[in-house]
Formats: sequence, C-alpha cells, structure tokens
Amino acid sequence: MPKNRQKEFAELIEPHLSSLYNTALRMTHNQHDAEDLVQDTLYKAYRALNQFQKNTNFRAWIFRILVNTFITSYRKAVREPQKVSYDDMEEFFLYKRLDETVAMQEVPKEEFLENLFDDDVKEALDNLPYQFRLVVLLCDVEGFSYNEIAEIIDAPLGTVMSRLYRGRKLLQRHLWNYAKERGYISDEFKPKK
Amino acid sequence: MNLSPKNKKHFECSDIEKYVQQYVDNMLDEEKKRLFEEHIEYCLPCDKKVEFEKKFKEVVRLKVKEELPPEVVHQKLKSILKNL
Repeated sequence: MPKNRQKEFAELIEPHLSSLYNTALRMTHNQHDAEDLVQDTLYKAYRALNQFQKNTNFRAWIFRILVNTFITSYRKAVREPQKVSYDDMEEFFLYKRLDETVAMQEVPKEEFLENLFDDDVKEALDNLPYQFRLVVLLCDVEGFSYNEIAEIIDAPLGTVMSRLYRGRKLLQRHLWNYAKERGYISDEFKPKK
Repeated sequence: MNLSPKNKKHFECSDIEKYVQQYVDNMLDEEKKRLFEEHIEYCLPCDKKVEFEKKFKEVVRLKVKEELPPEVVHQKLKSILKNL
C-alpha cells in the first residue's frame, strides 16, 4: 500500500476512531466483535476512498460504512432482546413515574438521572432492539443530525424520528425498571391527582 | 384571522408533549420554537418536564460516550494500517 495514501487515510480516521469503537461496542455487545467490525469498516473505507468526495461529510460517510458492515456481517450474531412491547409508550414516561414516587417528589428529578451508573445506561441501551439502539447512539451519543442519520442508515426522516423517540422512551422504561429492581428508589408510590 | 390548528397562535400542554423531542434536538422551525418557548415560560409543569428530557439526553451522552486515550488510538491506528 502506498505510504502517502495510508498517511492521508490515518489522518482522516483518527478523530473518529473513539466514536467508531464506542458505537461498534454498543452495537455488537462485545470487545472482540467491536474490534473486528471497526477493522472491517476501515478496510472497506480505505478501498472505497476514491468514492469519497473531498470536503463532504467524512464522519457520516464512515459511519454509513460501519452501519452497513454491522447489518450485513454482525447483526445476526447479536442476541436481540425478547419481544418488546410498545404499549405504555407515553411521553415523559420517566418523569411521570418519578413524580409519583414519594421520595422523589421534593427533589429535582434530574438528580435521579445524575445518580445512575454508567453501566445502567449502557445496559438499558444494549437492551434496545438494534434499530432503536443505533438511532439513539447516532443522535444522543454521537451528535448526528436527523438528516445525517437518515443518510447513514439509509431511511426516510420520518423513520429516523419515530425510531429515535421510541428508542428514548424504551430506554426510560428500562431505566425505571432497573431503578425499582436495584433499589435506587423506594417502593412507595402516590399517584398525583 | 385564521385560527385553524395549523396557524394557531399559541401552544397547549398537548403541543408540548407532541413536540418535546424535536425541541430537545433543536429541530423545530422558528415559529414552532417560539410558540413552544412561550408556553414553557408560563407553564411550570411543562417547563419541568422539558428540562428533564433535555437532561435525559445529556445524561445518555455523558454516561455512554467514551474517549479512548491518545496512546490507545495510536496503537489501534497502527494495527489497522498494518492490516489494510
């Protein structure tokens, strides 16, 4: 491989490497597959580098390759959560549950979020169906816009939005369940009139 | 004056529920954003819920995003280039 081309490629990918690993890890659920997924992605990207148009969105381009590689080669091996119920997908789900919890009524509800462990949030995310997990990761963790996500996952804007909003609500539901199971909140509930 | 829902001049609590996710992502157009902010300015219950959703998004990022140390990035980069 020509050294100059490699150097140019290394400079392009370096700022995105942490994000690619992090996303790959959350998508595959294990370090080994995440390493392979990133390696495969970058192998393909290097070979397709001529197709990348300079001064366009490299970050979105490389993530698109990551997502396609995940779907074609890794998705089947990932254990998916049991059938997800989309009932009870109300807006402000977590806020409302906390508001009904006696111990949380007098304190800012943001404290509950701040006190969660990183692993709680990662686990809740890992337990989303992969289409939802992917969109939440791209928007909330990696900061992509709706339009960029539509391009990355090759789906219409409406699909991006519905997966994102459902994903966030499912995430809140998981976190609420963990909070009860793990004793972060008391069992005393008082529905507000 | 046109008061059809499409052109209505103020937001109800139900509109806040409908648009909160787009608001949090800064994806509302100027007019909707203005109506949204006007509502939460005087409606404390909605304001609290919207603040919570903003915080939720921020917490997901803070607790999930990990930056690899520079030396790990360089080490990985080396092994990637070797395998190209």
